Amino acid sequence: MSEQQAEVTTDYEPRIVAFLCKWCSSAGSDLAGVSRIQYPSNATPITVPCTGSISPNYILSALKKGADGVLVSGCHIGDCHYIEGNFLARRKIHLVKELLGFVGIEQDRFRMSWVSAAEGAKYSQVIKDFVEDLRPLGPQTKVKAGRS
Amino acid sequence: MINLQDMRDTARNMLAKNEVRGVIGYRRSTNGMLAEPVVITKPEQADELIWDPTCFHNLSLYLVEDRKFLAHTRAKADLPIAIIAKGCDARSTVVLMQENYFERKDVYIIGVSCEGTGVLDERKLVKKGIRATNSAFDGDDFVFTTEQGEQRIPAREVMADRCLECRECFPKEHNIVLGEDKTGRQLDAPFTALKRFEELDPAARWEFWDHQFERCIRCFACRSVCPMCYCDECIVDSTSFPVTGQTTADEKANRVKWIERSATRAENMTYHMTRVLHLAGRCIDCNECERVCPVNIPLRLLNNKMEREAREQFGYEPGASIGGPSLTASFLDTDPGKFIR
Repeated sequence: MSEQQAEVTTDYEPRIVAFLCKWCSSAGSDLAGVSRIQYPSNATPITVPCTGSISPNYILSALKKGADGVLVSGCHIGDCHYIEGNFLARRKIHLVKELLGFVGIEQDRFRMSWVSAAEGAKYSQVIKDFVEDLRPLGPQTKVKAGRS
Repeated sequence: MINLQDMRDTARNMLAKNEVRGVIGYRRSTNGMLAEPVVITKPEQADELIWDPTCFHNLSLYLVEDRKFLAHTRAKADLPIAIIAKGCDARSTVVLMQENYFERKDVYIIGVSCEGTGVLDERKLVKKGIRATNSAFDGDDFVFTTEQGEQRIPAREVMADRCLECRECFPKEHNIVLGEDKTGRQLDAPFTALKRFEELDPAARWEFWDHQFERCIRCFACRSVCPMCYCDECIVDSTSFPVTGQTTADEKANRVKWIERSATRAENMTYHMTRVLHLAGRCIDCNECERVCPVNIPLRLLNNKMEREAREQFGYEPGASIGGPSLTASFLDTDPGKFIR
């Protein structure tokens, strides 16, 4: 059993689902790409109109489908294209984060960040940090659907 | 002390004068001691109404049912409907009005104050091995009529958990009110059960919830009994999605199902978490979901967690005012944001 586990952890690459807002973080990740900034390829970006449009169901669904970590990223406070979308997101995401922690899911599996369209370097750093934090946690099996 | 005769007279008068089209209240059920919800529409039925420790149901659910019935039958209601509301029922009625589910003029609230006691938790009584045929309030005690005679039990021992921690047992929003305002009364500090649970470390909490979610049989009793779960189409239940003559089998099969109907742990977990998040800032802690749960999942802990976050982080109190903003549709500049990188 322990041998098996050791094998799994060495091969283990965390899979991140990143919900990026269309106006800032998505452009930020683009900038990281065109600036040729190196960062891990673990994140699958999904562009959403605004962080305020993210339903908690997106996050739960990502975890259920086997994501090891979920990142929500949007415009800095005050820069939202829709004026107040990220204020609403901040409140909602706080509740989701607290609830996930409450039922005993590792707090590090879920992260939120503000990345503007000019912060390609910050985006790469956010992903790098997230991957490093996820690695010791191992695969996410708690919410993942499947026969147990 | 609430005079039952006052309650009956109020209902009788209003129905006789044609001021309301019905009164939602409690009557004696066929199951011995317990009360059951009833809608009376004739003055002579007023004597059916009762008020005792087993009146634990949240009657605002029937305001929702009434509203749905009117909408489905396209009937018009000229008169309001009256509801007998405890402190918690009045709060949930306020939340429904805050969400414009119905207007203030559509409902006549007969408030009843829970005074020195709350309502009974039947499970606690069963644990004590008491089989009663009748129950009554008496000061800080409940008096049960059993086959062996009368039995007096301090209310504190058999009271529902939510009543022990209740901050507002007086229905603030009301047209008339029966009983005294004893809002200051608090037997346990709010969120006592939640705090006790949170002392566990994350691994132990997970073990606990893992077990609970595994047991859920997805009967949706918690959803059915919740006055806040009034959506006709429910995201967690694909059978509630609308089907018209034009809906093809393909469309039905390919609809986005965020949550499958199978009762596996992962699906149950997403179901309960979704429900809790949908109730955040709306749940007023009537604890009906936990009461009706056939497998005794402690749903109150989850709802309480959200309620406390709303209260402590955002200064939000559900059911406080009809005109106020809702929790997730409003924000403050001072909302916590330290967790964001």
